[in-house]
Formats: sequence, structure tokens, C-alpha cells
Amino acid sequence: MSKEEIVRLKQVSKLYQQGKMEVRAVDQLSFSINEGDFATLCGPSGSGKTTVLNLIGGLDFPTEGNVYLEKKDLSELSRAEISMVRRDRIGFVFQAYNLIPVMTAYENAEFVLNLQGVPNRERYDLVMSILRQVGLEGLENRKPDEMSGGQQQRVAIARAIVTKPAIILADEPTANVDSATADSLLDLMANLNKELGMTFLFSTHDQRVMDRARRIIYLHDGKIDSDEVRD
Amino acid sequence: MNIPKMAWRNLWRRKRRTYITVFTIGFGVLLSVTFTGMAHDSYTKMINTSAIMGLGHVTVEPRGYNETPSLDKKLSDAEGIRDKILKMDGVVDAVTRIMGQAMIASANKSVGGVFIGIDPARETKKRNLFIQTIVEGELFKDPAGRGALVGKRLAEKLNLRINKKFIYTTTDANGEIVSELARVKGIFKTGVNEVDGSMVLLPIDRVRKTLNYGPREATMVSVVIDDQRYAEKEREMIREVVGNPQREVLSWKETQPELAGIITIDKSGNYIIQLLVGMLIAAGILNTLLMSVMERTREFGVMMAVGMSPSTLFRLVIIESLWLAILGLLVGIIITTPWYAYLLNKGIDFSGVIGDDYSASGVIIDPLMKIRLYRENAEAILAGVFTLTLISGIYPAWRAGRIPPVESLKTL
Repeated sequence: MSKEEIVRLKQVSKLYQQGKMEVRAVDQLSFSINEGDFATLCGPSGSGKTTVLNLIGGLDFPTEGNVYLEKKDLSELSRAEISMVRRDRIGFVFQAYNLIPVMTAYENAEFVLNLQGVPNRERYDLVMSILRQVGLEGLENRKPDEMSGGQQQRVAIARAIVTKPAIILADEPTANVDSATADSLLDLMANLNKELGMTFLFSTHDQRVMDRARRIIYLHDGKIDSDEVRD
Repeated sequence: MNIPKMAWRNLWRRKRRTYITVFTIGFGVLLSVTFTGMAHDSYTKMINTSAIMGLGHVTVEPRGYNETPSLDKKLSDAEGIRDKILKMDGVVDAVTRIMGQAMIASANKSVGGVFIGIDPARETKKRNLFIQTIVEGELFKDPAGRGALVGKRLAEKLNLRINKKFIYTTTDANGEIVSELARVKGIFKTGVNEVDGSMVLLPIDRVRKTLNYGPREATMVSVVIDDQRYAEKEREMIREVVGNPQREVLSWKETQPELAGIITIDKSGNYIIQLLVGMLIAAGILNTLLMSVMERTREFGVMMAVGMSPSTLFRLVIIESLWLAILGLLVGIIITTPWYAYLLNKGIDFSGVIGDDYSASGVIIDPLMKIRLYRENAEAILAGVFTLTLISGIYPAWRAGRIPPVESLKTL
């Protein structure tokens, strides 16, 4: 059975101005991510991994080419429409967790549902079930500064998956945690992928992430060096 | 968590900064109330005092009398006009008066002065500054008698004492020169040198007889109202009831343009000071909000990355400034209330600074500065401070919504 295409990059380039120099962070890149993928972008620093994630997430726009999310060309959307796409169809997990410090774990996890205007009761049930799923039951009233790095990243994952997005973009999600925590976070995300069919695209240097990924897109100087699919 | 709740929590991330901003706003309220309240108390006292010096808040007089006062211009039925006005809403007193210029001469000297013919039975201490400030003797009682109340400086100039006689010479209703004798029954001291050195109060019926006026005639009807702020409105109402082409109905602003001018200039100065204070406070609030936005750039980037729209982000920062405004106003009310109560009840006595002559351009100034804040002033101050705080939040809120998420996420 063929899987639905979630993301498609078509001849995408991204140029930055760095002083008087023009830097080509992404160069004529084309690939697609399908539903249920557990893929990773790897490569050395400056290879364009984060830029690609930003382009797919609608946080940045290509200089050339097109980025499609569920067949919608992101460059044709207005700022408000892009915000809605990010809110409803994309989940972000950042290296530095990036939780909102004045909110509890529960409130951080429910943040996007709140923006979506999901009713209170429904929100509560959804958030509590997700927090259970990510192993944070009983910690819902803790604020970020009262939790470990691993726990904070679990809250970030809960926030990313609570709306059941089309894709979860995770930028170096294990970079700030110890190995044991990194393993447990990867177990969690692998389970979400396996059991719920959630699509993940990572950007990483971490060998552990690469070992778990079923597809590895290796970038070098903004171009694809290799695209390996594993069983 | 809803946006107002989130905005509220954001305020308390840096408690000290929030406290300082809130107290700055509160202090702004205190300053504004003090400036406005003291100025209004001073204006009200000046206007009311001036009103009970003869002309009232509203005056009915013959057409042209205000520009060129002369005794041949008179109201033919001043008493009838008074009776009608006394029945009107907002009027607390109305009296008929004859006001004119005269040469006042004692046995050894003569000076130019101003006389007011009054009916002693209708005059009260509360509504007549000259009676209020009698320092020697008393007010004459017979409206047809020859008693007189003279200013202290005038008495000194003419070497007059109680029961001493003087002669006043003026022109009558027909333009003929007439003279009459009067006897000092009382001496007053208002504190205004020009007034104390020239003013004489005489019995109205005797003045009528001297000037060949009829029993119901006078040069004016002086009306005192319950609230000076509504003098113009009351003037219009009186104009509707007693106005005709031969009569003018004027408010204190028209009969005493010097006083109106002083108040206008003072008000303008006060507005400028308040504007400057407001701008300083606004700059403080702007600084606080801008700092708080700049240091949350990354967080805003995350919020936008997960789907918060720039307009919601704008709303978040505006609601933060709304909370600041509400807290600032509450603190303002709390710190201003005891200060207001003190100024209202005790006031600040400036008599040591002002000296003996409590007047400026013939207008009496009370050296005891108190406070009087009308409801509309209080509402204007609260609305002004509230609006200023909200306006101060617009730029930081706009900035927050304009930062591209990808740039925000790059910041530490």
C-alpha cells in the first residue's frame, strides 16, 4: 500500500547574505517525506539540516523552488495561513526544549489546543492522555524549572503531538540530555511512530538517532549526499 | 491557559520591574490628581470669591453696561427679574444691585471710588465678601438710611472711622451731578488692595433716591449658582427666562475677563506640565514593555513556531500592558486616597509665602491650598493614565508580532 506524501521539496534553494558574501545554505534540494516515516537529516554543521527543517516548518521561505506540505505550496500562503498550518499540521521539538517558563507541564502541552480553540473538557482529556503517554503523569503541575531536561523534552514532545499533526519536526532533540534520557526519548518517539503512525523528521548529529531512523538523508553543503532507506 | 492569564503570569517574571512600573503609573495618578485637584480648588475659590464680590456667577444688566458702565443704563424691573431668577434650578441667590463710580470725599481728602448699592436685608455673610470681611463695626441695616461700609484702605486714605461722615458725588440717571452724605457703619478688609482702597457699600434705596431711580430699578441682578462650572449653562437658561433686546445676561467669564484669562493661562500651563509628566511615565512604561519583549524574543519565536499568530502575540503584549494599567490605577487610587484626604481636610498653608496681599490682578487667592477633584476630572485622569499605558504597549506589541520566528529562534 503506497503511503501518502506529507512533505515534498522541489528544487529548493535557500540563500543567505552573510556580510557581503552570499551563502547557499540549501542548494537545489528535492525529496519527499511520506506518512509514517521516521527519517533523519544528518550531516556536518552548516550542511543545511536546520534550514531544511525551518523551510518545511514554514518558519523560513525558500529563495528558489517550492515546499509542499500535504500538497499545499507553503510559499502561496499568507502569514496567517502559515500560522494555522504550523498550529494544526506541524509539531516542533527543539533542542533547547523551548517550553514557556510561566506555564506548567499541563499548560505547555495544552498551549496549541488552546490556540485551536478546543473546548476545555476535550482539551483536558487529550492533554492528560498525552502526558500519560509520554510518561509525565503526576508531573502536570510542574513548571519547566522544576523538571529535568528529559522531562522538559517529554513535555515538548507532548506539545508537538497533542494536535496529531501531519509531521513532527525535531531539531537535535537529544542534544541537551544524557544518553539514558536520550534513549528513553527516542524509545518514546519510536513508539509514537510505530503505534500511532506519527511521521517524524529529525535533524541530528546523534548516532543514536541515526541508528533508529528508517531513512537517513545525508546532507553536505546544502545538497543530498545520500538518501538511505532501511528496513 | 487563556491569553489574559498568560499575560498576567508574564508580568510576574520580573517582579521588581513590574512593581517599579506599577508604582510609576500610580505615582503618575497621584501627581495628576494633585495638579488637577489643587488647580480646580484654586479656580473654584477664585471664581466663587469673585462672584460674591458683587457681580455673581451670572449677571443680568442693561445692554452695553458691561462695556461702558454708566448709571443712565438701568434695568427697569430689576426686582421682577430677580423674582423670576430666584425660582430657577441651580440658583442659590439673586440680588439687585446698583454699581457705579463716585468721588468720595471726607473733611480733609477726596478720592475716586466705586460704590455698590445693596439691600442689607437680602445680603448674607456667605454671599457677600465685604460683609464676610468686616473688621470693624457692622453692616448698615436700613436700606433707605445713610449707613455705609467702606474698605479699610479707603478709610485710611480719607481718615474715616466708624460714625464718621463722607460725601459721595456721582451722576444720576439723567446724567446730572448729584451728591449724598453717608456715615461709616463698618469697615471691611478683603485682602485685595485695589478693592479695599476704593470700594464703598451703600443702602440701595438711598442710592435709588439719590440717582433718581425708580423703586424697582437697578443696574444689575447678580446671580449666585450652586456650581460655578455650569455658569454658561445657567446663563443660557436665565437668558431664556428674562432675556430681551434691552438686557444682557453674562457669565463671570464675560464680566470678569481678567479672571477668565488668568485661569485659562494657568490651565494651559497645568496641561503642559501634566503632558510632560505623562510623557515621562509613558517612556518608563514603554521601556519596561520593550525590554520585556526583547528578552522574550526566542520565546515568541517558539510561540509563533507552534502556531500562535502575530495578531495573538500582539494581543498578548497589549493585555500585559492592560494588566499594568489596571494594577497601576489600583495602586494610584490606593496611594492617592490618603494624600487626597489630607489635602481636602487640611490643605497646605502658603500664607507665609504669599504675604498679606492674597490677590493677583484683583483676584483673591486663598493661601490655604486645598484640593477639589470633580468626577469628570477623576474620570479623565483615570482614562488618561489607562490610555497612556495601553498606548505605551502598542509599539512593543507590534515589535513582538513582527519578529520572524526563524530569527527569534536563533537568539539565545
